[in-house]
This record gives sequence, structure tokens and C-alpha cells, in this order.
Amino acid sequence: MASIKYKSMAYKCADDIIMGSALHPVSEGFGLKIGSGQVIPEINYAPRAGTEKDVERFRKEYVDYISKDALDRCITAGFPAVHLETEWVSQMNQEKLSAPVVAGQKEICEKYHDEYGLACGVRHTIPDQREADEGLRPGMDKVHSYPEKFFGCCDIACENGCDNLSVESVGGKEFADYAVTQGDIVAFLFGVGYLGSVDMEYIWSEMVDVAKRNRTVAGGDTDCSGANTSMFMAGGMLDMDVQKTFSAITRVIAAPRTLVAWECGAVGPDKDCGYEGIINKCIAGKPTTQEGKNCQCAHCDLMGNLTAQICDCWSNESVEYHPEFGGTSVACWMGSLGYEAALMNTAIQTGNAKTLRDLYALTDLTRSPEAYCLAYFNAYEIGQAIVAEGDSYYLRARAGALKACEIMEKGYNDKILRLSKKQYEVLIDSKKKIEALPTEEDTFVEKCVKEYDGVVKNFNMKNYGF
Amino acid sequence: MIDYKKVDFSQILTRYDLAVQNETSPEEAAKKMLPSDPILKAVAETVLYKKVKDVGPAMAAALEKFPADQVINDGLVPGIDAVGKLYNEHVYYLPDMMVAAKVMEIGIALAEKKMGGARETKADVIMHAAEGDPHDIGKNIAAAMMKAAGYNVIDLGRDVPITVAVEKCIEVKPLFMSGTALMTTTMSAFPEEAKRMKEAGLNIPLMGCGGAVNREFSNSYDLGIYSDKANQTPMIAEKLLAGYDWKRVREEWDSIVKGE
Repeated sequence: MASIKYKSMAYKCADDIIMGSALHPVSEGFGLKIGSGQVIPEINYAPRAGTEKDVERFRKEYVDYISKDALDRCITAGFPAVHLETEWVSQMNQEKLSAPVVAGQKEICEKYHDEYGLACGVRHTIPDQREADEGLRPGMDKVHSYPEKFFGCCDIACENGCDNLSVESVGGKEFADYAVTQGDIVAFLFGVGYLGSVDMEYIWSEMVDVAKRNRTVAGGDTDCSGANTSMFMAGGMLDMDVQKTFSAITRVIAAPRTLVAWECGAVGPDKDCGYEGIINKCIAGKPTTQEGKNCQCAHCDLMGNLTAQICDCWSNESVEYHPEFGGTSVACWMGSLGYEAALMNTAIQTGNAKTLRDLYALTDLTRSPEAYCLAYFNAYEIGQAIVAEGDSYYLRARAGALKACEIMEKGYNDKILRLSKKQYEVLIDSKKKIEALPTEEDTFVEKCVKEYDGVVKNFNMKNYGF
Repeated sequence: MIDYKKVDFSQILTRYDLAVQNETSPEEAAKKMLPSDPILKAVAETVLYKKVKDVGPAMAAALEKFPADQVINDGLVPGIDAVGKLYNEHVYYLPDMMVAAKVMEIGIALAEKKMGGARETKADVIMHAAEGDPHDIGKNIAAAMMKAAGYNVIDLGRDVPITVAVEKCIEVKPLFMSGTALMTTTMSAFPEEAKRMKEAGLNIPLMGCGGAVNREFSNSYDLGIYSDKANQTPMIAEKLLAGYDWKRVREEWDSIVKGE
């Protein structure tokens, strides 16, 4: 299936976009309607270490403990809907481990839907273990056959009852790692903005086909392996390994890459850790899952409220299953998510969604450059820049990056966004480097291949079908 | 959109990153750390100021006048030491450190060519990302810091089978082996590796690192020690070199990672 690129914005203006509503809602699972006027909590979890060693113990961990505890907490606290997300651990590329989990989760969701009317469904995020050194395409990896296993996992998930097929794909990761550690924004633009998008088109064309064959919803992706690595390295207020202006630009470059899944026919919601989903919802009008203050079990970012501004599902990112005072970890975080979603839904029901959206955005607007770029009104402008260059993976990523630089620079000059000396230097330096790049995709690719061949470890154009 | 022109954001949040920023220039910060000899100083400066293209000529000039090991110890090493200091003081950041480490590596390769063999390193260390785990950026950063600190890093890569890691350990008998994991189900490789290392009669520390790993987990099995951040790895290595065993590293971990 060919991808159809976005060349215009789904929404007429930023102010039209609110939480819980998307122009193209998605129905899945047992009565779940995502993006149709209600924010849905999305609970994500990880099994305890060691449970993967035994097939039955592993199934029990996911189905009888984790899923049951999350669903029970929904009933206990009176939450009307929940999206479960099972992010497959690497061992689940073995059908004997994954198939019983997928089928078991489907079964328990049906039970809670039948007994209580709880709207629920399960997103299965399959593992992308492909390694650039061995090969990203089928037939290349003679050691592990990871590309074949990747598509095999899609089949296993969809054939056993997956409601939403998603992934955190790794195309462009070899460049992202290099770019983040070396502070090379051009490498990120080439690796993630261009090569990553090429890889997305390849894998998502296949994934959408598998999902359609099995009447499964094709959800979405995230540039976790690139933009989140960058964001986590930039870290909190006292972490300074990577400049926060740099990570803001990498986030924006990730947006058109993640968008490719939807261009190939996936319908959403996209993945929680893809903070770039804010920009993509503005562009495409498809529902987005976001995470922030209620994912402190997994990590602390600098936009805990802001990311809730226009979300459709609200996630905890992930929590290891273990006991807490208030119940098991999944039950506790289910409660945390469910009550936040209830606040958002109250705002929607009382006609105050826009007010709450703005309050969420403003609490974090100046907390970091990345938050500033992702404030929905700035994200919308970035989206406009991206779709204006809709035909070219490179040019649209470049346009988004330049718009982000412009927005941050203006915010700084207007004394709204404060920047350290180094953050400002990196912003200006990155902007100059991006501005100096060719305005033709072919010329850019040729230049980068020449420049990074032998410099970026495991760089191989064959991985991207060239 | 709510009007926020009159919002006092300082009542909402504090930008501690701006409060603690160090605006000292690298030149100022490194003033007293470079060698006095102008030729060796030029070598040190290529590392300190990350001059990839200049390291070749600077090394050639130094190797004309000084023995190769002296060029390393009195030229390249003071340069990277200054970079480490600047990094710890937030004058330099990770990309500065990584590029400087690359310059240092080029310089060492040139010196070793002149010497006709590998330089003497402080010790061998083995680093890997756990079986099933593709996340290795943290390991790569720590490896660059360890190389710059003078260790011979045997990098086994990512997704390394337990058997391969343990066999390499038995063969090399390194100062320590580190393993990184970002997932709870891959970090379980470490206790298994430690068990097999013990069964093989090794008393070599196994350093657990990575997003999923915490100090409690790393200390929950014999041989296990912990490193939270990449720059702590050389600090812990120095103590192991000084004769600390894994038990003492655990006991004094808080002070070790403070650089005490």
C-alpha cells in the first residue's frame, strides 16, 4: 500500500483542537470509542523479572494479575473506559509466550465488558528488535532474523485478538544515537527525518496490511528510539548532557517520521511516548495517546501537564508489576490515570475543555524549550510548516525544524522562553546548520551519504532499501 | 487562548537550570590544567578544544621531540583530564566530551603507531548490553569515558548472550564487567551472569547499569555493583584498581560516586 502524504492541516486553527475529540475517532475492542468526546486512560505495565522464563507463569502475570488488577481498579473507582497497552518484552517474539497473553487479555476484557459494561481494549506494541548492523530488512539479518520476527509478531498479535497494533520502531536509530551524543543536528535530520521516514513507510505498509487482514486497528508509532533518547539525555533542570533546545528540535524532526504510520493507513491512537503526536494530531486529526504527570512511575519530563492539553488517551508510560500500599502498581497507576481522565472529561462535559487545555499548556509552557514547541498553538504552526513541504520526507522535517527554531528564538526575544547561554548558542548554531542545508532532497541525501559513510557506526543504505 | 501576557511564570515554576548555569569559558576553566611545554600543550589543546583536524599535525610535532608514551601521558592525558573537569563543572556537555574522546583516540592511535604496539592501559574492562536488549547508548558513552580514562575497553556490543559475556570474562579476567539493560526482563541476565562467573571461580565485579536497573537490584546478588551514570564508571574503576572488591564498592558507593 502506498502512503498518502498530508499536505494540509486537518483543523482550520489551533483553537479548534481539544482533548478527547479527534476529527477521525477510532472504535476498537469492546465498546471503546477513542477521540469521540471522551479522554480514555491507557495503562501500560511490565512483568516482573523472571516471569518470562515460564510460559504459564508469564500468561498469568499479564492476564490474571496485571490485566485483572487494572480492570478491577476501573470498576472499584468507577472509570467507564480503559485502554490497556501491552508493550511486548523481547522474549514475546516467541509465539508460545505471546499468543496466550494476547488471547488471555482479549478474553478478560470481554468478561469485564459483559459483566460491567466497561469499555475496554488492548493495544499490543510489538518489539522492534531489528539491528542496523545485521540488517533492517527481511533476508539481511542472518544472525537473529529480527526483521522476519518483527513481521511474525504482527501476525501473532493480530491472529490472537489484538485490538490495536502498534510499535516503537527503530529506523534511523543508528543516526539518532550518533547525533545525540555528538550534538549533530544534521545527522538527526538525515537519520530520523529522512531515513527513519523511509523505514516507516516500509514497515507500516506491511503492518497496515496485516491489521486489515485480521480486522485489527492499526494504531501508530513513536520515535522513542530517537527523540526520547534525546529528551531523556537533556533530562531535568540539573541534567545538562544534551541541550534542551537541541532535544526540542529533535522532537520536531521526529513528528513527520511518526506521521508516516498514519499516512500508510494507520488510524491511531499513536503511541504514548511519542510526544510528537501533539503536532501530528494537529496535522491529521487522528487521536493521540500522550503521557506526562501520571507517568512518574516511569520517568519525569518537563511537560507533565502540557502533554495532556489535546490528548485522547492518557497514559502512565509503563510500570513494573509490584505491590504498593494502595494495591498493586498497575492498580495504583490505573487510579491515578483514571482520575486525571475524569477531570478532563468533566471539563469536556461542562464546556470547559478549552480552558483546561490552556491551563495544562500554560503550566509548562516556559518549563523547557521542548514544552514550548509542543504547546498546542506552537505545535500547530510547526504542523503547518511540515505539511507545506508534504511531498518530501527531508524537506518537511527540515521545515518543521526551522519553524521550531524560529518559534523558540521569538519566544526568547519576547522574554517568554528563558534560555541558558549554552541553550541559546546551540539553538542558533543548529538553526544556521539547518538553514545552510540543500533545498533539494537528492542533493541532501547525496551529501549526507558522503559525509556519514564510515562515520556513523552501522550506517548502511541497504537497510533502507537503497 | 487564555491571555497569559501578565502571568508571572516564576510563581508557577523555577528554572533551576538557569540558576546553576556555569558561564565560565573553557579557556578560563582549563587555565592551569595544561602542560607548560608548548609542543605538549598544543597536543593537549587539540583534545580540550576538540580539534579533530589538528590532532594529527600536533601529534606529529610532539612525536618528533618526545617519546610516544610521554606524548600520551603529558599531552593527551592532561587534555582529556581538563575535559573531564569541564564536564563535571557543566562548562562542557556530553557532545563536547564525546568529540574530545574521539580526538584523544586518534592521538593515541598515532602514538601507538610510533611505539609499534599498543600503549599500556590501566586495565581491561568488558562492557555489554544484556541479552535481548538493543539499547546501548549508555554503554557507548561509558565506554568512551573509560577509554579516555586510560582503560582497554572490550566492547561486546548489544543483545549479548549470557554465555558469550561470561566466556569472555573467563578468558580475559577483566577489572570488571559492566552490563546495561533498559528492560526489566533483560536485566535478569545479570544475576545469571554473576552466578556463572562465581561458578567459574571468578570474583570479578559485575556492574549493572541502564534505565531498568537500580542500586537495590544490582546489590541483590553476589559480585553485583551499580553505576547510575556513565561518568561514575571511571570513578568506580579507579577504586577497583586501587584494590577495592565488589563488597567494598557497595559499602562506599555514595562517597565513590561523589569523587571522594
